[in-house]
This record gives sequence, structure tokens and C-alpha cells, in this order.
Amino acid sequence: MLDPAHGGTDTGARGENNIAEKDVVLGFAREVRGELESLGYRVVLTRNDDSNPSYDDRAATANANRNAVFVSIHLASTGAVGTARAYYYQYWTSFAAPTSITAASANAPAPGAVTWEEAQRPYADQSRRFAEVLQGELSTRFSGSDSAPTGAAVRGLRSIEAPAVVVELSSTAVSDPSSLTAMAAPLASAIVHGVELFRPAGALVTP
Amino acid sequence: MQRNLKFFMAALGLLVLIGLVSLRSLHQRVGKLSEREAAEEKARREVLAPPIFTATDVKSNAQIYWAEGPEKVAPVTVELALSADPVQRARQVLRALMEDPPTPQQRATPPDATVLAFYILPDGTAIADFSDSLASDTPSGVESESQVTNSIVRTLASNVPNIRRLKILIHGQEVDTLAGHVDLTGFFDVNPNAPLPIGAVPAASSPANAAKPAAPSPAKTSR
Repeated sequence: MLDPAHGGTDTGARGENNIAEKDVVLGFAREVRGELESLGYRVVLTRNDDSNPSYDDRAATANANRNAVFVSIHLASTGAVGTARAYYYQYWTSFAAPTSITAASANAPAPGAVTWEEAQRPYADQSRRFAEVLQGELSTRFSGSDSAPTGAAVRGLRSIEAPAVVVELSSTAVSDPSSLTAMAAPLASAIVHGVELFRPAGALVTP
Repeated sequence: MQRNLKFFMAALGLLVLIGLVSLRSLHQRVGKLSEREAAEEKARREVLAPPIFTATDVKSNAQIYWAEGPEKVAPVTVELALSADPVQRARQVLRALMEDPPTPQQRATPPDATVLAFYILPDGTAIADFSDSLASDTPSGVESESQVTNSIVRTLASNVPNIRRLKILIHGQEVDTLAGHVDLTGFFDVNPNAPLPIGAVPAASSPANAAKPAAPSPAKTSR
């Protein structure tokens, strides 16, 4: 699963010369898809146009595909230009589902049940390992990047029922849009190698 | 010819001298203008977020987590008058975090962001309600948004031991994310093992109550 962030009226980060995160990351995702498909992976994009599916729509698309890995692609408005970071969802121990979810069932969720809001929780360790592998690949291609991934409560990962990471590149603060285009090939290479290391094509992994 | 050259050189020297004097004067005027803007900004901010004084204030060393580089936060020890009341104490350290960074580069939150209200529920859950600016003026990105939430959470964790977890609201509303990335629908751990008042039910063992952060009557409120 590849998730080009934002879309539609949600432009994401913006820079000079009409640089918009939503457009750049869609181009990145298409490039990554081409590379992965050439290796035999089946690749699904959460959006392939200028639409803006909700977080839940994106999660529903991802969760309908079994044995998937999920990579959400972002472009930051800050950070050292030309660096890249992988994030995994970091749960706060006291996270609780919003009122609407528990109110709907009238009772607290049954022991062992996983709510939609916490679908990522059983995959937390796998996501962290995936992020570690991916950050290793990113740091060799994007000079100045950290060698370890970061845990953060990224909303778009919370309901994904699969190993899931965010890859965020820096940044929209470039004067020449072509320098962003030049990031597409190394990004695709990093994600392809990261996915290959984490889950070789055809391998089945259960949580 | 020789005479013309001398005249030209003298005129050039005079022009350079005039230029230098003008430049110095211009520099002084720009400096004064900048000082006046800074003073006006300070006055404006004191109206937006006036200092908080309580009867139990004691000079203490507070650890405020300001920005260190574009993505990280780091503690800086500053002497502040801090209240014994945890709600007021939380507002005091948040005010210091948001209003008084040692340098502009260390500012971790948007300049116009303020705390609108702060509550602490009996179960140790704190509710911090920030102005719109915290969401609308934070640069979009996991890195930049994490810096903002980390600075708030860590500053509270280091200075207000009574808070177990924190819920962030924007202008009284629960929002999905800060600026498109960092999840604000849940609670941030502050001091998960903080002692609670006798008889209070811990948030972690009461999921049904914990799921309603904004509804119960707050222990204390402040605006």
C-alpha cells in the first residue's frame, strides 16, 4: 500500500513556485509503484488523482488488502533539505478511544478486541522494525538523514492493520522544484530495498 | 588632466564619506525601528497572555523544553515564580514556554499561540485548550508538529507532577491532528504514575471515563 498524503483542497506543506506537498508525493508514489511492480509486488495507491480520502477511507483501503505493508509518503515544510525520515506509530500508554466508539457499544470493548482506533497496535513492533530497515536505506541515499527512525503519533497510521510507516522528506523550502523531482529515484530505491528486506515478494507474514 | 584627476578623486572621497555617514544613520534608524517593534510586540503579547501570579508562588527552577534545531527540543533551566496549585503552575510553565524563549531560534510554538484554558480532572487527566494559532501556524509535517507537542508535554511532565496524561484541544474543540499529521484524538502521557487525590479513579483503569475528556466537571478551571 502506498499512501500519497493529502490531496484535493488539503495541499499539505506549500513552498515557493506553487510547490504543494500533495502533488509532489503523488509523483513519488507513482515512481515507487513502478519500481515495486517490476519486482512482482502488487501495489495499491490510496489515491491516484487529486482527491483527498479521509484517514478512515485510506485505512479501509489498506485494511482490505491482506499481508500488505503500508508506506505513507510525505514532504515536510521544515528540516534540512534533502534528508528523509521514517516514522512508526508511537502509542501513548494511556491512549483511549474517542467517546463515539465506546458509546456505540454501550460498554468498554471486550477483552482482546481491537478497536478501529487501535488497529495499528498489534503491528507496533513490526512497524518499528520496518521503519528501522527503511531508515537504514534512506540514510544511505539521503545524506544527513538520521540512522534510526522516530516514533510519533501520526494520525494516518493509527487505524492501519498492517506494518505501517510514514516516510517524510525535506522539504518544500526549495527554490527549484526540479530538486524535488530528483529525490524520486533514490526514494523509490530506498522503499523498494526496504520492502524487499522486510518482506520479500511472495512472503506471507501474520501478526 | 592631472588637476581633473585630483578633483575627481576628491569628489569620490567626499561621496564615500557622505555614504558612510548616511549608512550609519540608516543603520541606527533601522535599529530603533526594530527595538520599537520588539517593544510593541512584547506589549501586545502581555495583553494576549498576561503574567500569572498566585498567592502561593515560590521562586523555583523550572525545566522548559524549547526548540533545539529544527526538530528536537531540549530542557533549559529558568527561574520562575511557580504556584502550588497545579492548574496555575501548568499555566505558568506553558506561558514561559510560549512567551519567553531565550532566543527566537529556540521558539518551539507559534508566536501567536496562547493557552485559552487549562483543567485537571480528578483522574489526573489534564485538558489544555490552545488558541487556533497553535494548529494554523504550526508548519505542516510530522517533524515540526512533533516538536510542538513534545515541547508542551515534556514541559508539563518536568514541572507539574500531578498530571498523568494530557488532552490537547484547539479553541475548545477536539481535532484530528495538529496540522495534518500528529494525532490529537488521544492522550499524551505526561506522568503516568503520578499520585492522585484519595478516592480518585486512575484514568488507565477507567476507560469509559477516560474516553470523555471534555464532558466531566473539571476539578479546577481557569481562563
